[in-house]
Amino acid sequence: MTVALSDVVTAVLSTTLQLSPFYLFAGMGEIVSEKSGVANLGLEGIMLMSLVTTFIVDYETGDPWVALFAALAMAGIIGAVFAFFAIRVRLDQIALGLAIYLFGLGFSFVVWNIAYPSGLTPGYISLPPIFSDWGSVPIIGTIFLKQDIMAYLSIVLVVLTALFLSRTSLGLRVRAVGENPKAADNMGVNVAKVRFLATLFGAFMFGFAGSYFAGNFVPNFQTDIIAGRGFIVLAMIYFANWKPYPTLFAALSFNLVYALQNEYISIAGSTVASVSTLFNMLPYVFLLALIPVFGRKARAPKFLLKPYRKG
Amino acid sequence: MHQDTQGLRWLRATAYNAFAVGLGILAGLLVVVFAGGNIGVALSSLFLNPIRLAGGVQQIFVLFVMFYSMALGIGLALKAGLWNIGAQGQLLAGMVMVFVAYTYMAFLPAPLLYAAMILGAAIGGLLWIAVPTILRVKFGANEIVVTILLNVVAFNFGFYMLSGPIKSPGTALGFPITKVLPSTFQIPNIVGGVPITYAVPATIAIGVILYFLVERTPFRVRANTVGESPETARYAGISIPRVMTITMLTAGALAGLAGATYIMGYRYELDIGSFSSNYGLVAIIVALVGRKHMLGIGIAAFFFAYITIGAQSMAVTVGVPYYVEFAMEGIMMVGILSGAYLTERRRTA
Repeated sequence: MTVALSDVVTAVLSTTLQLSPFYLFAGMGEIVSEKSGVANLGLEGIMLMSLVTTFIVDYETGDPWVALFAALAMAGIIGAVFAFFAIRVRLDQIALGLAIYLFGLGFSFVVWNIAYPSGLTPGYISLPPIFSDWGSVPIIGTIFLKQDIMAYLSIVLVVLTALFLSRTSLGLRVRAVGENPKAADNMGVNVAKVRFLATLFGAFMFGFAGSYFAGNFVPNFQTDIIAGRGFIVLAMIYFANWKPYPTLFAALSFNLVYALQNEYISIAGSTVASVSTLFNMLPYVFLLALIPVFGRKARAPKFLLKPYRKG
Repeated sequence: MHQDTQGLRWLRATAYNAFAVGLGILAGLLVVVFAGGNIGVALSSLFLNPIRLAGGVQQIFVLFVMFYSMALGIGLALKAGLWNIGAQGQLLAGMVMVFVAYTYMAFLPAPLLYAAMILGAAIGGLLWIAVPTILRVKFGANEIVVTILLNVVAFNFGFYMLSGPIKSPGTALGFPITKVLPSTFQIPNIVGGVPITYAVPATIAIGVILYFLVERTPFRVRANTVGESPETARYAGISIPRVMTITMLTAGALAGLAGATYIMGYRYELDIGSFSSNYGLVAIIVALVGRKHMLGIGIAAFFFAYITIGAQSMAVTVGVPYYVEFAMEGIMMVGILSGAYLTERRRTA
């Protein structure tokens, strides 16, 4: 069987790009949060809750926009709870994050099961593609133009996050409370408030990520459907040294490896079926292999994970 | 503010913990109400089914052993300031290695093979944690990131092993499941008829030995110093890489052993269902609730084993997904952490 090269390229690139917005939303959210000194390990729990919210609200209202806003509201609520306990009560961020993850993991499935005990659901209505009229253009039409607005938004978000952190005064304050909260405090910055805003922003981005996942990957909710992909974001921003553009690069290259092995398995078919799960490990092993290269240079914000007490 | 006496402080901490656990249970009951279940039935199955139903006691002790073993390692690493989020991956590596030994070392006489399977599980967990340990010690890579990454890898690796190298040749349609271990390779009950295996006293013994080794020797000071102030440790001439390596590798081996106790003492076979248990994450709560104390963790492990089996049983009885246990445990964890914070603040105020 021969496979046309252009088909392979199209498939690989479109898979790469289709996955990327999820990692970009989550990555930018976690970067801003961690830059302020608050690591949110509950990100996958927040995503799962927004994901299940997206499905249920979409099914019930038939309006994907309402579903998106509901998902963001859900992410905001959980994010505010996380921020309160992390910043105000000063709990250990890692333990708290894992608690939020466990909660989201369990509760998302419980909510789903109560909403649809039989498992039968109405059809999902997705956001419209931006350039649907151009869908017939070869290669470009199938790779780029079938994406909905979220995909474009995620790219804009990378640029905005980079500009925000480096060029705006609030961005400077975010970095200041993560690097040296004491000095920032002395200069009149409200450390708790800035951290709260940064953490909440992060949570909203996890909401986008979860909602995008629901609209673009999976036709239905399943338990643990994100399957650790949220946690992978922590590794991505680590390699990217907490910088937006390198995170874009990390996400794209991770997804490229994923798309390549995925395409290889689908072309090779039954001959590699028994080792296909071994190939599934490749993107993660790729990230691991990068650690000795990029991990050396990575320097976390100095007060990451460290609660700040005024006075 | 006056300082509490020891007894009062203990009482206060217990009250906070009880309150936190109550909150988690309340959340579970709310779910039951929404699902249209009966509260009375839910409560009685949550608290009584673990000891009332056939198999309940056995499951409690199976989980107790797993939680205790994994949490001992997590607590040990935490003393040195290291977060092992990867107990789940090390647990899977241990489970897989039991069958790797069983399949590929079948030429050994039975008693030796038996030992090889248990040892193999420990080595599996140890190898799985060796990666983050080396990356941390040699390259300064963050162990949280790497252990989390390896959990995902473990899942895929385990699935690969199940679908090929350790798959039972007899299964239809290539269904990924191993052979069932014959009774020769099952961990026996201490007293026939009472479903409590030798894994229970063995794990408690490991906990007690670790208690004497870790809490009662200078090692505790060394680990704590590395954990709390690496600079001080360096001045004091403590070898930071050595402390890190010892605690991390022990943690991995213990999590691998937990896998052996689950397979050889309860399930006797391995399929994909055992992969998504998330017990490795619950073990982190156990280690924190036990305040990283090698004996305290044992008490916490028993409690969480009981609550987990109770919640699973409640879910089945009233018809809600058993995943409700994770939601309840997440809430309990936030409450328990807050309680610990309040107790601590009162002491230092």
